[in-house]
Amino acid sequence: MTAIPQITLKPLKWTPHLPPVEMADATPRQLAAMQVTPSAKKVSAYVRTLAHDPDSYVARTTLFNAIMYAQDGLPREDRELGALGASLINGCRYCANVHARQHARLSGSTAVISALYAGRRDGLSERDAAILTFAEALTATPPTADASHIAALRDAGMDDVQITDLIHAIAIFGWANRLMHPLGHSD
Amino acid sequence: MTHRPDAISLAAGLANDSPLHTVRSFRPEFVEGAQACRAAVLTPEDDLGLNPELRNAIARRVALGADNPELLSGYPMPKTAELAALAQGRIVTTPALIALAHHTDMIAANPGKATAADLNTLQQVGYSTAQIVALSELLAYVCFQIRVAHGLKLLERTK
Repeated sequence: MTAIPQITLKPLKWTPHLPPVEMADATPRQLAAMQVTPSAKKVSAYVRTLAHDPDSYVARTTLFNAIMYAQDGLPREDRELGALGASLINGCRYCANVHARQHARLSGSTAVISALYAGRRDGLSERDAAILTFAEALTATPPTADASHIAALRDAGMDDVQITDLIHAIAIFGWANRLMHPLGHSD
Repeated sequence: MTHRPDAISLAAGLANDSPLHTVRSFRPEFVEGAQACRAAVLTPEDDLGLNPELRNAIARRVALGADNPELLSGYPMPKTAELAALAQGRIVTTPALIALAHHTDMIAANPGKATAADLNTLQQVGYSTAQIVALSELLAYVCFQIRVAHGLKLLERTK
């Protein structure tokens, strides 16, 4: 097979379609949700957009951090690959960019994302291919993941705790993609 | 070990003695976090003018796409005719609900298709920025729940 050219992804900038909460106008509950004081300047537009609904912002962010950063279980780079697979299927270019770069950073290699962006599945290990294929099938509406996907993950050496971690990483990106893409644009 | 079933384990149809309860107990923050999210999108402290009946109806409409009766049963059928129609995936008649139904169906099935114009449509029928954010979180939560339940069901069946 021919060599796959290695890519470097430049960060994208996300801009909301709707006006974010301005720090000066934020309610006490919105400020508490953002965990900042009114004098703080650097709160991202994404956080300020979602802070319009502080209840869901706090609950989802807590769950998101648990799923993506929990100790032990599935290696973090594999969670990032699940997130990337979901983001590509859901058409969230911004999320795909962020989590492709996270994968490259955590794995210390651009091999996987280069293969993926070049459409070269043959460049993926069996384990990475199993993760990605499962992420795509679980992200479909309705989900099409079946027993063969679970078997492939188990064959790649994953136990039930790790597969559960992967399910959650894919699913929380089904959520994040449905915020990031519909509520803004990236360039 | 006794446990009170959470919405995800109910939606996944996990048996009381399922070994997956032990697997899930390794990540209590996922179980509790998902329950907190469910409360935050269905019955938040500040509902931003979107009452729990409307929120439940939207959630049920999204849940219809899952082909999962246990998950669907977590969203009771609304009593009023218009919200029942929304919840059953049927045609609704008021402009605000027409726009909401259309947006819900698109984001659930094909979020990549969404553009700024879709948010404009919601604004034109009267939804505020905060309400659009809250609706986005609500329907995306159900999409999350559908996928966790689907994955856990597969794990349970392939033991």
